[in-house]
Amino acid sequence: MNCLEFRRLKLADPRRLPPDAGKHAAGCAACDAFAREVDETEAALDLALTAPVPEGLEDRIIFRSRHLRPAWRAWALAASVALGVGLGWIAWNAQSPSGQYARLAIEHVVLEPESLTTLRNAGPEAFQAVLRELGATLNEPLGTVRYVRLCPVEDGFGWHVVFDTPHGLATLIFVPGKALRGRETASMSGWNALAQPTRSGYYAIVTASAAHTDRVDQWLRERVVWSRS
Amino acid sequence: MRAYGAILYRFAYWLCRDRHLAEDIVQDACLRAWNAWSDLRDPSQAKVWLMAIVRNEYLRSRSRSRNDLSLDDVDENQLPQMPSFAERLETEEMVSRLPGTYREPLLLQVLGGFTCAEIAGILGTSEGAVMTRLTRARQALRQRFASANAVRGTGS
Repeated sequence: MNCLEFRRLKLADPRRLPPDAGKHAAGCAACDAFAREVDETEAALDLALTAPVPEGLEDRIIFRSRHLRPAWRAWALAASVALGVGLGWIAWNAQSPSGQYARLAIEHVVLEPESLTTLRNAGPEAFQAVLRELGATLNEPLGTVRYVRLCPVEDGFGWHVVFDTPHGLATLIFVPGKALRGRETASMSGWNALAQPTRSGYYAIVTASAAHTDRVDQWLRERVVWSRS
Repeated sequence: MRAYGAILYRFAYWLCRDRHLAEDIVQDACLRAWNAWSDLRDPSQAKVWLMAIVRNEYLRSRSRSRNDLSLDDVDENQLPQMPSFAERLETEEMVSRLPGTYREPLLLQVLGGFTCAEIAGILGTSEGAVMTRLTRARQALRQRFASANAVRGTGS
């Protein structure tokens, strides 16, 4: 092996050199120095490319992969965790002074502004399939569904749904696995939110006004029929 | 999926440079992979197969939106000035500024640990072409490292 070939191989795949490359470097000070320099660059690359992985990513991938199988039917299983909770909130409907999770819902909307400006899984199929799997049906549409996404949230993951209503956009966030002590409300940054506990988590509604939020909450009660909760 | 989640995410992140989009890409890719799992004939090639799907999802996302973020858009004055952070950022920037045809095989090799032949399979090109791209990518990085060190006055 000559110097040119050694350097070409070292640059192409520094960690998988053939045995004779090692022999060449051992007898060639210039190539040995070259190899060390490349290895230093590789170490810097390793460090720089190790981007932090969001906590719970694998769980969310597995969750979604298992439950969102072909088309919309599968979405549902996932959401059954979130919305299976559905109407349990009524029983827990006590006022909480903190408003922590209502505020978190507003922050989620503020930090994901594209949810209000872009379409993702738009149309009724995704949301209806989610509800079906949760054991719920819609008597009437809540609005035009324009965004459905499984999102990382404070305590794990949740379904982020945005729909268009005659009164403006409304966001629903369903978070399984986090118990709320009672109903929470919050207003900040021009947004109003209501968080309601459910049997195995909570959901939050975020709109531009308290009146709209209450109206959406009322629609949920009137239009979503739960066969199980 | 659990075994490869971090690698898939980092690959997606370095392709798009947006952590939210990267997670979307990985989730969409994994869902696609899950639905097409029966198409995977050789389970030992699962990692290669998944990386290829992530790459396709990234290309699909780019075709949907032209908002491809690059480090050129980052205002470094807003970032911390700690030396170690600055050096790391410098490396990140160097990688980001590599042309896509060089960056992709480099990411696959450094993050995924793939051989040139495996990378060729993912990118749909020849092993020789991959070796050439990797060689040029590292030559470009070495030149930029040397320039950066010269500016810092540290030499290399």
